[in-house]
Amino acid sequence: MALFEARELHLRFGDRVVLENISLAFEAGCLSGIMGPNGAGKTTCFNVLTGRYRPDRGRVMFDGADITGRSPQAIARLGIARSFQLMNLFDEFTVFENVAIALPQTRKRGADPIGVAYGDAALVAEVHEILDTVGLGERVDQIAKSLPYGERRALEIAVALASRPKLLFLDEPTAGLGSDGRARLAELVHRLKGQVTLVVIEHDMEFLFSLADVISVIHWGQVIAQGSPAELRTNPWVKNSNLGKLA
Amino acid sequence: MSKAPLLALEGVSKTYRRGLLDRTPAFRLDVDFRIDMPSIVGVMGPNGAGKTTLFEMIAGSNAPTEGRVVVAGQNMQRVRYRERDRLAIHYHQSYQVRRFSRTRPNFMLETAGSAYPVVHLFDEPQFNTQDGYIGFMLDFFRRLRDERRLVFVCLHPTAKLHLELLQEICERFFFVGKGTVRPFADFGGIVTDPDVRAYLGALAQ
Repeated sequence: MALFEARELHLRFGDRVVLENISLAFEAGCLSGIMGPNGAGKTTCFNVLTGRYRPDRGRVMFDGADITGRSPQAIARLGIARSFQLMNLFDEFTVFENVAIALPQTRKRGADPIGVAYGDAALVAEVHEILDTVGLGERVDQIAKSLPYGERRALEIAVALASRPKLLFLDEPTAGLGSDGRARLAELVHRLKGQVTLVVIEHDMEFLFSLADVISVIHWGQVIAQGSPAELRTNPWVKNSNLGKLA
Repeated sequence: MSKAPLLALEGVSKTYRRGLLDRTPAFRLDVDFRIDMPSIVGVMGPNGAGKTTLFEMIAGSNAPTEGRVVVAGQNMQRVRYRERDRLAIHYHQSYQVRRFSRTRPNFMLETAGSAYPVVHLFDEPQFNTQDGYIGFMLDFFRRLRDERRLVFVCLHPTAKLHLELLQEICERFFFVGKGTVRPFADFGGIVTDPDVRAYLGALAQ
């Protein structure tokens, strides 16, 4: 059975059909991609999968348990982390502190968690390990707001990794990045592959096609196509598009 | 599901009048057809001819002045508002429309007999050849038909590509114009019709 499964999700906002009969399965250890044109329902779908919205119909299953309608906090505690299209960081804090405060061990420590974190060798080592994974090992003491955009994104991923999730959702990680930033982010995501189960929503097809094991195409609030990048590329219209020209 | 046709428009007409005082009709559309088998239907017609009105009447968001729209055996105007999209669903470009003209209270209406939409109405979907989505969209239309749904694709062709797309995926056609909806059995039939040729202009060459 897949690690994460959505079965026949339906969602209406007032007089709009936002999701119509969406079924998705994300296998453990894989990178699953979700792509679709603007307004197709990708982020809304993400918000249902991560508990921000409750579907009108349908079920969401994680690791064998039904998590439909549970709060985002409860879902996070089960081992699901997510990043956002718009970044959430503590701008005035250092890179180290942003990650340290996200560690579950730190959070349990009351009044001055960051002070405690600096004094705890095991925690410091853990933060450094996470920062090395995302390539921010050299930036430990920099203030978050002073980081270039691409590195802020990497820091956000580090914050999500701090909870040691089984499943990590990334919402449009390449948004706002230039081609250089994209290449570096692709490298980072590639490194994470295998360490954590990944689900990436992306508008940038090139990025997804180079990284994903399986891709679901969402349009009109529905899954209109599904398959490996190689399978999706056999479509004659895809072959003739910009996407088909990608090696 | 019953043996009823997927879709029947029985003596349907829609009249828009100039105003409350001036009752002169400003627009009138008369439609009568039935479709028994799953298929992909191409719809063309000039702006203002009534393509969207036709789709709204099928989706149950716009009540016909006369006649009835029957989807899988159910009169759309008798189905609960929030359940009408389980019979027919109207995709207005990238988002969907479900704003209903309420003619009677919900409790007087019946529940939908289907869990998933039977008729899918795509109102001028955006086809962009550069991004490759077009291929997935066309396959999706075919998949819906293979799952025994009825698919309408309404296009106002502005490029040769739009005609090629209709030719590639549609099995039958409707032309909305001059206050009626005329059926055509195939692509050759619709593009050689004098009215349609006049509408297509240079594209018909």
